[in-house]
Amino acid sequence: MKANETTKKAAAGRFKVGDRVKVKDMPNMFYTRTQNYVRGAVGTIAACTYQDLIPEDEAFNFDGKLEQYYIVRFRQKDLWEEYPFDNDTLQTETPEHWLEPVGK
Amino acid sequence: MSTGHRHDHAGDGHADHDHDHKAAPMVEEITDYEVLEIAVRELAIEHGLFTAEDHRRFTEWAESIGPANGSRLVAKCWTDPAFKARVMKDAVKACKEIGLDWLEPTGSGTPSDYTNFIVLEDTPTLHHVIVCTLCSCYPRPILGMSPEWYRTTNYRRRLVRWPREVLAEFGLLLPPEVEVRVEDSNQKCRFMVLPVRPDGTKNWTEEQLAAIVTRDCMIGVALPSPGRTADVHPIHKARRPVQASVQHGSAAE
Repeated sequence: MKANETTKKAAAGRFKVGDRVKVKDMPNMFYTRTQNYVRGAVGTIAACTYQDLIPEDEAFNFDGKLEQYYIVRFRQKDLWEEYPFDNDTLQTETPEHWLEPVGK
Repeated sequence: MSTGHRHDHAGDGHADHDHDHKAAPMVEEITDYEVLEIAVRELAIEHGLFTAEDHRRFTEWAESIGPANGSRLVAKCWTDPAFKARVMKDAVKACKEIGLDWLEPTGSGTPSDYTNFIVLEDTPTLHHVIVCTLCSCYPRPILGMSPEWYRTTNYRRRLVRWPREVLAEFGLLLPPEVEVRVEDSNQKCRFMVLPVRPDGTKNWTEEQLAAIVTRDCMIGVALPSPGRTADVHPIHKARRPVQASVQHGSAAE
């Protein structure tokens, strides 16, 4: 079976393309694939990719709930204060529970 | 530890070691992960999940995949806008049109490869480059095994922080008005870059075009250009090579 193909369905994702989101700055508990360098940074949803188990569960073979994944786009300047090029960006993927909405 | 000279110091007590050649091990060190892989593989064979023959054939097949399908995909995107549109909509599905099924050979993809595939389209003002900062995630079903440098911590940790400097080390200097977009494939999507079709390729056939779309162009550390048909990285000779007299440290062993 395809990794993201499953009989279960998660609730519809809470974010849509273009939404501003902040990556939560949570402690590293055992395992995650959300990188430290984006913690606390504000970016924009670039794509809603798929629904799947989260790494925090999968790492321990725990068949937990499914979550919506997103590709989030950041300005490099928002990740590294002294980054010298205004235009440059970085995209990374993360499941929903790592993201919180940012007010307009 | 110097290799090939262990028998000098291995404690067999024979000064005249030329008459006492023991077979030297091919590999002197093995990582925990390699031990784990062998253990799990042998268990799986013992329990009949697959045979040793299945494992050998699959390994040989996986190692034989090169970037040729990626080159063909790019060439076809350049010559067929309708195909490109289908790639942008669903790249896994579009790959079937060039004879590549991401679900092969198991029906669920190769065991360690996810089947979410996104092709990142460059424009004259946007340049993509891929990395996996966590490990070495790479679109293997279409590009084959990743190059050694792609898996180094050096590339992985520096590309996200100093992308233009790293690209410059590959010989790729981009003007500031071009947006450099780093794609960190740290979850289950796999990515490759669709570069801009270079000038000087008008009326080229798909085969001609595919020949200039090298692996590095699809990672994003090089740009295709007429005449550039291989990823050649310069080899710099050591400025102060190790002297023959100190090459084999004997005291430490």
